[in-house]
Amino acid sequence: MTLLSVEDLHTHFISRDLDNQIRTARALNGVSFSLDAGRILGLVGETGAGKSLTATSIMGLLRPPARVVGGRALFEGRDLLAMPEAEINALRGRDMALVVQSPKSSLDPLSRIGDQLIRIHRAHRKASERQARERAVQMLASLGIPDPSRRMQAWPHELSGGMAQRVLIALALMNEPRLLIADEPTTGLDVTVQAQILDLLRDLVRRTGIGAIIITHDLGVVAHYCDEMAVMYAGTIVESGPVRQVFAHPAHPYTANLIGATPERLKLGGARTVGGPPPNLFRLPEGCAYRDRCPQAGADCATSPPDVALGAGHIARCHRVAA
Amino acid sequence: MTPVLEVEGLEKRFPAQGGRTVHAVNGVSFTINAGETLGVVGESGSGKSTIGRAVIRLLKPDGGQVRFQGRDITRLPESACRPLRSEMQMVFQDPWSALNPRIRIGDLIAEPLLLHTKLPRGERQDRAEHLARRVRLTTELLTRYPSELSGGQLQRVCIARAIATNPKLIVLDEPTSSLDLSVRAGILELLAELKAETGAAMMFISHDLGTVKLISDRIMVLYLGGVVEYAPAAQVFAEPAHPYSQALMSAHLPADPMAVLRRHVLEGEVPSPINLPPGCHFASRCPVAVPDCRRHAPELRPVHGDTAHQAACLRIAEGANRIPELQHG
Amino acid sequence: MSATLAPAPRWARRLAGITRRSPTLAIGAAILFGFALMALLAPWIAPFDPVQADARNVLAAPGGAHPFGTDGNGMDVLSRVIAGAGWAFGIAIPAVLVGLVVGVPLGLYTGYRGGWPDEIMMRGFDALRVFPSIILALAVVAAAGPSLLNVVLVIGFLDSPVFARVVRAEVIALRGSTFVESAVSAGNPTWRILFVHILPNAIQGAMAQTAVRAAWAVRISATLAFLGVGIQPPTPEWGAMIRQGAEYLVTGQWWVGIFPGVALILMVLGLNMLGDGMQDMLDPRRKAATR
Repeated sequence: MTLLSVEDLHTHFISRDLDNQIRTARALNGVSFSLDAGRILGLVGETGAGKSLTATSIMGLLRPPARVVGGRALFEGRDLLAMPEAEINALRGRDMALVVQSPKSSLDPLSRIGDQLIRIHRAHRKASERQARERAVQMLASLGIPDPSRRMQAWPHELSGGMAQRVLIALALMNEPRLLIADEPTTGLDVTVQAQILDLLRDLVRRTGIGAIIITHDLGVVAHYCDEMAVMYAGTIVESGPVRQVFAHPAHPYTANLIGATPERLKLGGARTVGGPPPNLFRLPEGCAYRDRCPQAGADCATSPPDVALGAGHIARCHRVAA
Repeated sequence: MTPVLEVEGLEKRFPAQGGRTVHAVNGVSFTINAGETLGVVGESGSGKSTIGRAVIRLLKPDGGQVRFQGRDITRLPESACRPLRSEMQMVFQDPWSALNPRIRIGDLIAEPLLLHTKLPRGERQDRAEHLARRVRLTTELLTRYPSELSGGQLQRVCIARAIATNPKLIVLDEPTSSLDLSVRAGILELLAELKAETGAAMMFISHDLGTVKLISDRIMVLYLGGVVEYAPAAQVFAEPAHPYSQALMSAHLPADPMAVLRRHVLEGEVPSPINLPPGCHFASRCPVAVPDCRRHAPELRPVHGDTAHQAACLRIAEGANRIPELQHG
Repeated sequence: MSATLAPAPRWARRLAGITRRSPTLAIGAAILFGFALMALLAPWIAPFDPVQADARNVLAAPGGAHPFGTDGNGMDVLSRVIAGAGWAFGIAIPAVLVGLVVGVPLGLYTGYRGGWPDEIMMRGFDALRVFPSIILALAVVAAAGPSLLNVVLVIGFLDSPVFARVVRAEVIALRGSTFVESAVSAGNPTWRILFVHILPNAIQGAMAQTAVRAAWAVRISATLAFLGVGIQPPTPEWGAMIRQGAEYLVTGQWWVGIFPGVALILMVLGLNMLGDGMQDMLDPRRKAATR
């Protein structure tokens, strides 16, 4: 069952520079993907590809100068982008939740952990203080936090990075959302802790049947924890499909290059990988944004590339891909 | 032949709040030969960056000995270290903050030449151009400022700076960790080339096991400021002996969905380096720890008589060092 | 989005852009630009010699040949107000320079070095703060004699702790930064680290303070003159003029003191607005938010 379907999402940053000229950064240029309940989608890409912006656009969390200028994001059939502010605010934190980056700075430093959990629960659900407290303790326990009732009294600054990340996930899950977006949930955590957090997320999705999006730049995380993956470049999804299929047969040249650059595939002293700075969103080329770096680019790449379906939900947006 | 770097029993402590002490590095010993790359892996708090800074004397060790090309530099005053800096260089993790934002790229690359040679200005510029091409930067970038370059380009500038005076030792502190995947690959390719060409000894510090595996000859695994395993790279990955190394290797996620993971998830997190317990520092998280582990600090010993492969674990001798695998659906 | 009119020249667009981002800065800069013009063109725009007494025309009310009237010596108030702009700049600019030259190296060294020199400097500044600066200035100028040079030096020295503190704070933040570590590991001697690597990155905060400190200098010098220990009459210094005018205020000749007073207020206001605007523009957080 399709839980979230994003169609042709466009987000721009519109600002004025010091010369009083209007400048438009085309940060998202037609992002389309869908997520089924009970599945984990890995949204991968490099710096500036628009991964986090996709999440904040969908969740209605954009702040000026960023603005959604086109597209739809259907959550259980309702368009989040066309919703009045009050309505999306009611959904957020209850039916869908975002676990943001940098756990330490995302917790309210002036409230105890337990109070924050209780507060978010009672903001969206009719529950007594006692019911909310019980639920919070349960939630902490289910996330593998030892001695949860004592942890309820802890202040955010007393938590380690891994603990803070768990508490953030607990906050996101307090109201049993049906959609969870985790933005770089393990970046900055030690590998042994990373494994604990990711196992937790996966068990949660399998157990409760919610849909989850993991935003990451780490292909290892995608390879082992996601069902589907979507690869972003310059604000578009250049390739998406089942993880094993994309890894085995990357269709888009960007994806192929990215996978080839992982330490597992990289041959030092072999062919050079194509790397470069993130593209300038103020001056994206017409047509395929990857064409100035693409070894296979031709004249037709100056026109918008089509989405080519390769079967089993595997799609690549490229002129060079044969169906 | 004398190794380029010999470190014996290195110790470094930092004062912490409330008059307490952080024991960042506790008796670490290793050597690096010319042309060799030592990979240093460990999680946060393992002391890997502190060791890197102490061996090139950006920090003053509190104990032990650091010998550079046979010369004891452990307690040299900063003024006496300065001439040595042309022979030992460092590349930092975050290239965006490692370069003075107000100085042009060309002058940044030429700075070590200005400081350590008597070359006239014109010749320094020629050398800077040569160095820029060496790290595959276009020479038009030399007149730009750091804010105009991308992360990958900036890291190439840092590398050019580091090799400008042909150093004998280069410490690379997470040189690729803050870079994007495709950019990271280019930097690794460059480092591999330089390693082959310059014959410099390298110390490659990283928490990214995949990267370390690619570039290192030997690997030193650290936990809470101490060495738990020290062995040829292939061996550490194929048959890690120390329980912590096993857990660390198994937590690494190769970017290949078909790779089978041997999972041993560790309980808990790295304890605070402020109040280190006696005995083995890993004992509090170790699945195979016995009461003896909490009493006696283990020393690095050859594993199964192999002097090239050393680990610090009491249980290896009994053959009880394998930690159980986690079953996963 | 594209303009159909002829495109404005780049400087005009830049001006509009800055005005939009910080109107305060634009207004402050405009006021100061006016005073600067006044100071530079004084010999040509002033109707009379500012220090020429006219015994037949003492305390003439505003109007006719003397739009701002004349003072007790029969000197033209308008000409004196115009000439006063030059004196204000002539005191404020050198005083701020003295403050920078003394304060910046102090802050740079103590911030980088830390330890006892830092401790001594900070305690010294705290001790200075106990006395209101105007009392200190009064005491020193009274003792050393009321020359222009003494006024400038005293104001500059009293101001140097402000610059030292700002620079020190920046240096402490930069001291542990990676590029300084990288400079050390490249083998830079301490003086090069201080002046080549840290100073250019630490000076911004001090520069943003200059306009506000110049406003303070103008005020203090006027206060000293008003109290009779600074620049002495008949020099056309606004503070000295206000002091003279105060005597006539009770007898109804308001114009002698009010016009220089308004000029002083305007200039201090202009400098403060410019300073506020500069701090806004240089504040990295604000810059990031509007980029």
